[in-house]
Amino acid sequence: MTQNLAQAESTDILEPRSRRTHRFFKDLLRTQSAKLGAAICLVLVLMAVFAPLIAPYDPINMGAGQALTPPNLAHWFGTDELGRDLFSRIVYGSRLTLQVGAIAVGISMTAGVLIGLVAGYAGGWIEAILMRMVDVLFSFTETLIALAAVAVLGPSLTNAMIAVGISSIPFYARITYGAVLVEKNKEYFKAAQAVGARHQRLIFRHILPNILSPIIVVATLGVSIAVLSASALSFLGLGAQPPSPEWGATLAAGRDYFKRAPWITTFPGLAIAITVLGFNLLGDGLREALDPQQRR
Amino acid sequence: MVLTSKRLQKLYRRTGRYWACLLLPLLVTACDGESGSNPAATTGGGTPQEGGSLVWARYGDADSLDPQRTTTTLSWQVFDQIYDTLLAFDDNGEVVPNLAKEWTVSEDGLTATFVLNEGITCHDGTPFDANDVKYTAERAISEDNPSVTKGAWGPIASVEAVDSQTVQFNFSEPFGAFVSFMADPFSSQICDSAEELGDDFGVSAAVGTGPWKLVSWTKGDEIVLEKNADYQNFGRPIENDGAPYLDQLIVKQIPEPQTRLAGLQTGEIQVIAEPPLEELEAIEADEGLNNYIAEKTGQNVFFEFTTSRPPFDDIRARQAVAYAIDPEAAIDIVFGDVVKREKCTVARGVMGNDQGFCAEHGYSHDPERAQELLAELGYGPENPLTVTMMTWVGGNRERMVQVFQNQLKQVGIETEIETMDIGTLNARVKQENENDSGQGTFDMMGWAWYDPDILHQLWHSPGAYSGYQSAELDALLDDTRTTVDSDARLAAVQEAQQYLLENAVHVPLYTPGWLWIYTTRSEVDGFKIGPFDRPLFNDVKLVS
Amino acid sequence: MTQYIFKRILGGLFTIWVTTVAVTLLIHLVPGDPVQIMFAQSQSTTPEQLEQIRQQLGLDRPIYEQYFLYMGRILQGDFGTTIRGNQPVLELLLVRLPNTLLLAASSLLVTMVVGVSAGFFAAYKRDTWIDTGLMTGAILGISIPSFWLGLMLMYVFSIRLGWLPVSGTDLKNLILPALTLGLANAAAVSRLTRSSMIDVFSQDFMRTARAKGLAETVVLSRHAFRNGMINVVNMLGLQFTYMMGGAIVVENVFAWNGIGRLAIQSIFQRDYPTIQGFILIFATVVVTVSILLDILYAWIDPRIKYS
Repeated sequence: MTQNLAQAESTDILEPRSRRTHRFFKDLLRTQSAKLGAAICLVLVLMAVFAPLIAPYDPINMGAGQALTPPNLAHWFGTDELGRDLFSRIVYGSRLTLQVGAIAVGISMTAGVLIGLVAGYAGGWIEAILMRMVDVLFSFTETLIALAAVAVLGPSLTNAMIAVGISSIPFYARITYGAVLVEKNKEYFKAAQAVGARHQRLIFRHILPNILSPIIVVATLGVSIAVLSASALSFLGLGAQPPSPEWGATLAAGRDYFKRAPWITTFPGLAIAITVLGFNLLGDGLREALDPQQRR
Repeated sequence: MVLTSKRLQKLYRRTGRYWACLLLPLLVTACDGESGSNPAATTGGGTPQEGGSLVWARYGDADSLDPQRTTTTLSWQVFDQIYDTLLAFDDNGEVVPNLAKEWTVSEDGLTATFVLNEGITCHDGTPFDANDVKYTAERAISEDNPSVTKGAWGPIASVEAVDSQTVQFNFSEPFGAFVSFMADPFSSQICDSAEELGDDFGVSAAVGTGPWKLVSWTKGDEIVLEKNADYQNFGRPIENDGAPYLDQLIVKQIPEPQTRLAGLQTGEIQVIAEPPLEELEAIEADEGLNNYIAEKTGQNVFFEFTTSRPPFDDIRARQAVAYAIDPEAAIDIVFGDVVKREKCTVARGVMGNDQGFCAEHGYSHDPERAQELLAELGYGPENPLTVTMMTWVGGNRERMVQVFQNQLKQVGIETEIETMDIGTLNARVKQENENDSGQGTFDMMGWAWYDPDILHQLWHSPGAYSGYQSAELDALLDDTRTTVDSDARLAAVQEAQQYLLENAVHVPLYTPGWLWIYTTRSEVDGFKIGPFDRPLFNDVKLVS
Repeated sequence: MTQYIFKRILGGLFTIWVTTVAVTLLIHLVPGDPVQIMFAQSQSTTPEQLEQIRQQLGLDRPIYEQYFLYMGRILQGDFGTTIRGNQPVLELLLVRLPNTLLLAASSLLVTMVVGVSAGFFAAYKRDTWIDTGLMTGAILGISIPSFWLGLMLMYVFSIRLGWLPVSGTDLKNLILPALTLGLANAAAVSRLTRSSMIDVFSQDFMRTARAKGLAETVVLSRHAFRNGMINVVNMLGLQFTYMMGGAIVVENVFAWNGIGRLAIQSIFQRDYPTIQGFILIFATVVVTVSILLDILYAWIDPRIKYS
C-alpha cells in the first residue's frame, strides 16, 4: 500500500526553480495518464462540492426505494439493505474521502516536514535522535502505527484520519530530510549563511521553497495511500460509524448481502479504486513534470 | 461506468465467463449455475446412523471454557456441552431434576438442599459428589476471584456437603431465583479436580460431567469435543438417555454469514448459527437444508437511558423516544418475521412475560405525542434534541439503530450512532451513568436471562450499569427476590415491570436478538434447540 | 561485513526496545481510565475490585516502575491474560503467528514471481505495447484496495463457484488470501523492478555482452537476470514488512486465523494486554526478518562493501 511513496522518495530536484515553474504545467499535462488523473481528481472534487445537487436522494434517510433494488434507471447503483440510494451515498461519500485525504496528509505532511527540516537543518545530536526515531517508526510499518493509534483513540472516522496521518509521518520526514541535506550543500545556501541570515529566514525563505516539489509529489501520492488506509480501517469497523456513507464502511455493510446484492460491495470498491487511481496518476505525472530525470 | 447489456455481453464473451464474474459480480447472475442448488445434499432418504463427526459453525469463538469467567452466548453454548447443571429446564422452561434428583427449599427460603443422582462420573473418571458442588459454588462467590456472574448466585452464606450425595446452600436472606439459576449454564458444575489443572482450566483443559469432553481448542479456529461415553442424561430435554450418538463435535469459527452458508452448502459444515437473513427464504426452499428458529430464548433487546443528567433525567424525554419509535416497522425492515416485537421487560418463557399486561403500561408508536412532549421540553425544529445512541455490533443491530435513527428524526430527535463491542458497551454505559456532566445518552442493550431476577440485577441500585435508581423501585425489586411463593412472586414481578415500563426506564423492543437462527444440512437428524437457546446435539445422528 | 551485521542487530534491538517503551505508554495514552474501560465490562465488578486490578497491573506505581514490572513479566514469557475470558495472551499470539508468517511468505512469493517477471519483461520490451499494458495493469493494481480485491475473489471462487473451501487454515484456504495480498503488492514491485532493470539494460556490460555476439538468451540469463535477482533480494526485506502489514487486513477479509485478525478483534474489545502483546510480537518479527534478509542480501551481492 505504501510503496509508491517509497518510490517517490527517490525524487530529488536539482533544477533551478525558475526553469521548473514555467515548464511545469506543460510537462504535467503532456502525458495522457496525468491528464486522466487530473480529470478524475477534478470530478471527485466537483462531486464533493456539488453533492447535494448531484445526488438524487438523501444519503442517510431511508425510503429512497425498495431495499436491495438492483441498479436501474431510478437508482443507478441500486439500493442498499435499508432502501437507501447507493449512488447518492457514494456521491456524498466523496466528501468524506476528500476530507480523509486532506486531514491525514495534512497531519503527516506538517509533522513529517517539520521533523525532516529540523533534523536536516540542525544536524548533530538533534539530527541523530530524530532520524533514528524516524527509522524506528519506519520499521514498524504504517499499518502497525495506524492500528496502535486507533487502539489508543478508539474507533471513529476522525480517529482513523488521525491514525493514518500519524502513520505516514516517517515518509515525509525522510524525504524532507534528504532534500534539506541537498539544499544545505548548495552555494546559495552557504552564501546566505555566510552573510549571517537568521535560522528562520534560512529555513523558510531558502530551504522550504526549494524542497517543495518532492513534497508535493509525495503528498499527492500520499492522498491515495491515505484514502486506501482509512477505507481499510473503516472496512475493518475501526473507522466510520453507521449511517455514514463512507465508502469502506458501506462496502463492509454490503458484505452481509454479498450474494443477493453484490452491487453494495462493488460500487464503493470501484469508487475507492478510481479515486486512488486518479491521485496515483496525478502523482506520477507531477513527478515526471517536476523531475525530468525520472522520465522514462 | 455505464455498460450497455450488448457491450457487456461482448466483454463477457471476450474475457471468458470467470473473468466476467470476477470483474462484474453484480451484473452476472449467470455465474450462479454451479452453486445455487445443492446437489450433494441428501434429502433425508437414508437411515440415521450413529458415530461420525459434526461441524457446528458460529461467527466467533468462545472467550473461555471456564463457566465462571465469561458471559457471552458464544462461550456458554459450548461449555454447556462440557458441563452439566444440578437442575434443567424442560421444553416449557419449567425446572426439572438433572444432576440432582430432588431438591427442597426451606419455608423461610434460607436453605436449599439438593440430593445428587448416584453413579455420575467426571470426565477424568473421578466420581461427581457433593464436594464438587461445594467447590463450584465457593469458587463462584470467592472474594479474590469470583465468577463474573457472582450476582446470580445470590446471598449465599455457606455451602455444606451434608454427605457425599447431599449438598445444602445457606442464605443470609431468602433468594427466590436460586432454584432456576441451578438450571442455567452459568451454574455449570465443575469437578473439583479442576483445581489441579491450575491456569490451564478453561484455557486448554476442562473437567465436567456434561455429554461432551474437551479434546482440543485451537484459539480462533476450532474447539474439538468428543462424546462422553459415560454420560447419563437425567433432565436435559432430549430423548437419548445415554452418551451422544456422534463421536465428535467440532465447533468452528467463521465470521461471515455468507461464508458460513457457503460452507454448509459444500458440506464442510453441518450446522451453522445465524445464516444470512436475506437467504432464509432460499434456504427454506432448499431441500438439502433446514432452518431452526429458537423460541423462548430468554433474550430481550431494549432501550435504556442515562437518567442521571439531561435530557433523559426528565421522564418526558424518555417518553418522547418511546413514542417516536415504531419497533414493528423497524423489525419488518430489518428482520422480517424471524424476530418478534417485545413489550415486556422480562423475556418470553420467563415468569411475568404477559404481552397484554405490558402493552397496557408501556408506550406505542405515537409521533404526535412525542412531538408534544419535546415541545414541552423546549425542543423544536430550530433546536432539535441531539443525543448519542449506542449499541453493540452484530445481529443486524447496526441496521436496527439506523432505522430507529430515521424514525426519531421524524419527530425532531437527532441521533449520532456509536457501535462497539458488547464489553465496551457495558463499560461505556456504566461510565455514562456515573459521569455527572455532558449530554446524556441512550443505548440499545440486550440481555438473556431465564428468570425475572434479571430486573433486580439490572435495576436494583447500584445495578449492573449504575443506571436509573429509586428507593421505590428498589423496594419493588427486593420483593421479587425475597418472595419465594410463586404466585406472590409473580405479583411482585408485575409491579416492578409496571414501574419500569411506565417510567420509560426500560423500553422493550424486540426478541430474540442473537444466535437464534440455525441452519442444518438435512442429513442432520435430531438437532434440537432447548429453551433459552441451548443447542443440543445428544440426539443427533447423521443420515448416510 | 561482521561490523555491518553487528550494526544491523544493534539497530534492531534498539527498535524493539523503543517498542517495549511505547507499549508500556500505550495504556496511559488511552483517554479515560483504562482499568475501567477494560474491566468494568462484566456486570459484577465493584470499585474495590477495580482498585485491586490497578494494583495487580501495577498501574498505581510510577511509570518507570511499571516499565520494569512489565519487562520483567515479558522476559519470563508472561504477556498477561485477556480481559475477556482470562486467556494467556502469549499463547493466543503464538498459536496464530505461524499462520500469519505462512500467509506473508506465500504472498511474498506471489509478489516476487509476478511482480519481478512483469517488471523485467516490461523493461525488456520497453516502450512497446507490452510495456504499456503491463504498466497500466500495475497502476491499476496499486489502486485497488486489497480488501475489495479479496472480497471479489472470494465471491467468485468460494461463494459462486465453490472451488475453494471457505474456512480452515490448510493450504487450499491459503490460495485466495495469498493471491490477494501478493497481487496487490506485485503491482508496486513490477514498477520498481522495471525502473531498475532499465538501468541494467542500458549499462555498458550489457552492450559489451551483446557486442561480443553472445546469444540474447545468454545475455539475459547471465547478466540481466543475475542483476535482476540481486534487485529482488534487495527488495525482500521491505516487501516482507509490507506483507506483514497487509496481512492484517487480508486476514480479516478471509477469516484467516492469524495475529492480524486477533489484533483487530482486540482493538474492538479494548483488550489492551492483547494489543500490547500483538504490537511487541509483530514488531519483533518484522525487525528480525528484515535483518536476516538484509544480511542475506549483503552476503549475495558482491558489489556492496560494508564498512
